Amino acid sequence: METTPRALKVLDTISAIMFVMAIGMVFFYAPTERVMGQVQRVFYFHVATAWVGMLGFMAAGVAGITYLRSSNRKWDIVSLAAVEISLVFFFVAIVMGSIWARPAWGTWWTWEPRLTTATVVELLYAAYLMLRQGIEDPDRRARFGAVYTILGFISVPVTFLAIRLFRTIHPVVFGASDPGAEGDFSMTPPMLQTLIFSVITFSVIFISLFWHRIRLGNLAEKVEQLRLKMAQ
Amino acid sequence: MSDNTQAISQKAQAESKDSFGFFRALAAVVWKDLAAELRSRELLSAMLVFALLVILIFNFALELDPKTRSTVSSGVLWVTFAFAGTLGLNRSMSMEKDRGCLDGLLLTPVDRSAIYFGKAIGNLIFMLLVEAIVLPVYTVLYSVNLFNLGLILVIVLGSIGYIAIGTLLASMAVHTRTRDILLPILLFPVAIPVLIASVKASAGFLGGIPIDEIMPWLNLIIAYDVIFIAVAYMVFDFIVEE
Amino acid sequence: MTPDTTNYLILGYVIFSTVMIAYLLSLSVRNRNLKQDIELLQELEQDAQKE
Repeated sequence: METTPRALKVLDTISAIMFVMAIGMVFFYAPTERVMGQVQRVFYFHVATAWVGMLGFMAAGVAGITYLRSSNRKWDIVSLAAVEISLVFFFVAIVMGSIWARPAWGTWWTWEPRLTTATVVELLYAAYLMLRQGIEDPDRRARFGAVYTILGFISVPVTFLAIRLFRTIHPVVFGASDPGAEGDFSMTPPMLQTLIFSVITFSVIFISLFWHRIRLGNLAEKVEQLRLKMAQ
Repeated sequence: MSDNTQAISQKAQAESKDSFGFFRALAAVVWKDLAAELRSRELLSAMLVFALLVILIFNFALELDPKTRSTVSSGVLWVTFAFAGTLGLNRSMSMEKDRGCLDGLLLTPVDRSAIYFGKAIGNLIFMLLVEAIVLPVYTVLYSVNLFNLGLILVIVLGSIGYIAIGTLLASMAVHTRTRDILLPILLFPVAIPVLIASVKASAGFLGGIPIDEIMPWLNLIIAYDVIFIAVAYMVFDFIVEE
Repeated sequence: MTPDTTNYLILGYVIFSTVMIAYLLSLSVRNRNLKQDIELLQELEQDAQKE
C-alpha cells in the first residue's frame, strides 16, 4: 500500500509517452484548418478533456449506486475521486472551448447545450463537495454523497435535452454564424486520427489519475481511522 | 409538538399492520404540518412576504414596461417561486429537525417513504398557497392577465417536480451546518430542467402560442416529475437511516 | 486567407498545462502530507501503547 504498485507505474509511463505523442500529433501532424487557422488545434484536447469529464461523471454515478447497495466505503472513495477528476477536466474543456469559440465565432461564450450542460455539471460537483464538507459523520457523508451523485446522474441528461429543446425552438444566433455547430469544419483523415488518438490518450490518463486519486482517498481514510483510534 | 408526535406514533403503530397504515401515516404527517402552520402561520407569512418583496425588486431591476412585461412575466414568476419554495423547504425541514419530530416519526414501524410523501405534500400545499396569492397580486401590479388555465396547470406540475426533489434534498441539507445556504446550491442545478420547462411552458400559455409547441415542455415537466418522485421514493430510506 | 489565430492556440494550451500541472502538484502534495500524517499517527500510537 505504501509504494506504488508496478502496474500503476507502467500505466503512468504509458500515459506520459502517449501524451507526448498526442502533443506531437496535435501540433505537427494535424494540418492547419483553413477557416479558423491555428486555434482549431485546441479542439483536439477540448474534446479529449470533455470526454474524460464524461467518464468521471458516469463513474461517479455508478459508484454512488454501488455504494448504496453495498455500504462498502471504498465506493465512496471512488465516487469522490471520479467527481474531483471530472471537475478538473470539465473545467479545462469548458475554458478551451471558450478560447476556441472566440476567434472562430466571435464570442467567448455560447449557450449551446453541451457547454451549458458542462457548466451545470460543474455546479453540481461544487454542490457535492460542499455537501460533503458540511457533514461530520463519515457514513452519512458517504450516503448523502451517493444520493446526490445519483440525482445528478439522472438530471444531467434531462438538462441536456431541455437545453437542446430550448435551442431548436428558439434558435439563438450569436454573431455571424451558429456557434453550436462543432462539426463546423470538415475533418480530413489526419485530423480525425489526431482526435481519436487524443481521446484514447486521455482515456489512459484518466485511468491512471483515477487510480492515483483512489489511492490518495485510501490514505485519507486511513488517517481518519488512526485519528479516531487516537481519540479513544 | 411532543404530544402530537406521540399521537402519531401510537396511531401509526396501531395501524401499521393494515395496508392503510402507509396512508394514515402520510396523512398524519401532512395534517401535523398543516395544523402547526394554521396555529403559527410563520412559514406561510415568511414565504409570502419574501415572494412579494422579490416581485417588487424585479420591478425596479427589470424596467417592466408594458411591452416587455408579457414576455418577461413567466421568468419573473418562476424565479420568485423558486426562491420562495427554497425558503419554505428549509424552514419546514428545520422545524422538523429542531423539534425532534423527525425522530419520533422514525420510531414508528411505518415505511419511511410515508414520511417523505407526507412532508412533500405539506411543502407542496404551502408552495401552491403562496403561488395562488402571488398570481392575483402580480396581475394587479403589472396589468398582465395571469388567470390562464394553462398557466395554472404548468404552475401545479412544475411545483410538484420542484418540491419532490426539494424535499429530498432538504432532508439531507438539514443535517449540515450550512443548511440554509446549502439547499439552494444543491437544488438549483438538479432542478434546472423543470425550471426551464416551466418557464417556457408558462411563457407559451401567456403568449398564446399554439398548444403543440408547448407540449414538448409539458411532457418534459411531467417526465421530470415522474422520474424524480420515483427516485426519491427509492432513495429516501438511505437518507433517514441511522 | 487563413487568419492568424496562433495567440489563441497558445492561450488555450497554456491554460491546459497550468491547470493540469496544478492538479498533479496538488495530488502529490496531498499524498505527501497524508503519508506524513500516517507516520506521525503511527508513532503516537506506538508511544501510547508503550505506556
